[in-house]
Amino acid sequence: MREIEICVKEELPDSGDFHMTKPVLRMEDVSFSYENQTVLEHIHLTLRAGEFLALVGPNGSGKSTLLKLVLGSLHPDSGNIFLFGSEPRQFREGSRIGYVSQKANSFNQDFPATVREVVASGLYGKLGLFRRMKQQHWERVNQAIEQVGLNDFADRNIGRLSGGQQQRVFIARALVSDPELLILDEPTVGVDAHSAEEFYKLLVHLHRQKGLSLLLVTHDIGAVTAYVDRIACLNRRLFFHGNGEDFSREKERILTDAYGHPIHVMDHRHEENVSS
Amino acid sequence: MIEMILHYDFMQRALIAGMIIGVISPMVGLFLVVRRLSLIADALSHVTLSGVAAGLLLQKQFPVFQSWNPLYMGMVFSLTASIFVDRLRHLYRSYQELAIPVILSGGIGLGVVLISAADGFSVDVAGYLFGSILAVGESELHVIIGVGILVTTVILLFYKELFALSFDEESAALSGIPRRSINILFNLVIALLITASIRVVGILLVSGLITLPVAASLQLASSFRQAMFWSIAFSQVSVLSGLAAAYYFDWSSGGTIVLVSVFILILVSSGKRLMHVVNRQIKSRTHSRHQEGSS
Ligand SMILES: Nc1ncnc2c1ncn2[C@@H]1O[C@H](COP(=O)(O)OP(=O)(O)O)[C@@H](O)[C@H]1O
Ligand SMILES: [Mg+2]
Repeated sequence: MREIEICVKEELPDSGDFHMTKPVLRMEDVSFSYENQTVLEHIHLTLRAGEFLALVGPNGSGKSTLLKLVLGSLHPDSGNIFLFGSEPRQFREGSRIGYVSQKANSFNQDFPATVREVVASGLYGKLGLFRRMKQQHWERVNQAIEQVGLNDFADRNIGRLSGGQQQRVFIARALVSDPELLILDEPTVGVDAHSAEEFYKLLVHLHRQKGLSLLLVTHDIGAVTAYVDRIACLNRRLFFHGNGEDFSREKERILTDAYGHPIHVMDHRHEENVSS
Repeated sequence: MIEMILHYDFMQRALIAGMIIGVISPMVGLFLVVRRLSLIADALSHVTLSGVAAGLLLQKQFPVFQSWNPLYMGMVFSLTASIFVDRLRHLYRSYQELAIPVILSGGIGLGVVLISAADGFSVDVAGYLFGSILAVGESELHVIIGVGILVTTVILLFYKELFALSFDEESAALSGIPRRSINILFNLVIALLITASIRVVGILLVSGLITLPVAASLQLASSFRQAMFWSIAFSQVSVLSGLAAAYYFDWSSGGTIVLVSVFILILVSSGKRLMHVVNRQIKSRTHSRHQEGSS
């Protein structure tokens, strides 16, 4: 594999007004290995407030691992991570981050809970022990359900929704605590193309309307280049970190570097199948 | 029956004990079942057996312990084991159910050894194995009332945390819910519940009382609150039938309680299927009538 690092240092090409805003997330020279397998090497990554960043890369390239480092459930071997200025393990304000895991959809489909109950559970951490849900909290829950367009399903059992609708329930659960940063790990896997499209539109809407910072992990490269502010291309090392235009211009080369072989990206849907 | 209850102390005790257990066991059971940990109840109940055996042995060997109820020793054992369950679950993250056979066989092994070492007890061990609700004594009722208050308080206080952890442990922990402490607290609650239920249903049938009414409720409920409501309702029906059967026919209370629970489960699930078929019939009939009308 040719290893050409295109853009991994702190001085990033400026992509809009984000240059001045405070970084929500900063990774400085982060490396990580599981027992004996190096998964991430010398990662530099910055996500500024209000920015929409897509992290793309083939399967097994370390995307989920990177998120676990950011969320503090794993600890880097070397390098530093700052989440809202503090080290992830020390970070105690979980409600400033909304997280939708790759495994979100693999919950127990017979779980006796309504959409409203599940979305409300996103507030419990913020609410704290011994505090009860009050009227205003339930209103906030209804708002979040409305934001993702599930009003008509609020009292439906969550197992009785389609995959795409369930995905939106988890977004609502992540949004209900009014986070500043939303982290999504491959949210459109197992969701049909049309729902995925709708889903990206919803994200862009939330991003524009609320100034939400977004970190989206996906291997749906074709779809995201149209929506995001910046793209980071990962395969153990970072192969690109810049804006969508630069990415599109050098797409072929970057992806060949990152994936180890040429891949063809069609615009929008139905892109590379080689990654899986 | 009301007069009987007012008349006999033992009936009063049995009724109070039964109703308390009938509320707290499905409350705890619902969380256990949806977390797919219902077998933990089984494991801990077997440990409680060894605790009770140890208590009986102490009573036999040392007159000082004469006034001690062996249930207290059972409680100590199951509380200790519940902490082990947590440790083991941590040790084998992807084999969480492995904790169960380890604890279960350890518990029954120790129990059997203790019973044989004591060379038989004057007390009827079968009462602990299968339950005898009519034999609930004064001091045992105190244990049950105390546990009832404690368990209800914990479940109500931590309802939202327990719900969030049950639905999605990882996300709940990330959102700031203290996963470790709540899980340990919950394990302690399970241990207390089992100790308190032993007199009513017996060690071998405790997990049936904890899980069967919940299983039936899952057939009906679309929300967690509904599931909670129905499991308590079903559990009360089972416990009270067990009490009645023990009083009028001298049947084993534990056995009856579990059989009634199984019966309710069958009734509910076949009733649900029947409703489904009937609904479909009605739909297709109105549909065909529509077509006839339009043609
Ligand atoms: N818990 C783990 N223990 C050991 N290796 C792991 C673990 N999780 C992931 N890996 C390995 O690390 C690499 C990166 O995995 P992951 O971060 O899940 O990739 P991605 O999300 O990009 O598909 C893979 O080779 C995977 O096999
Ligand atoms: Mg992944």
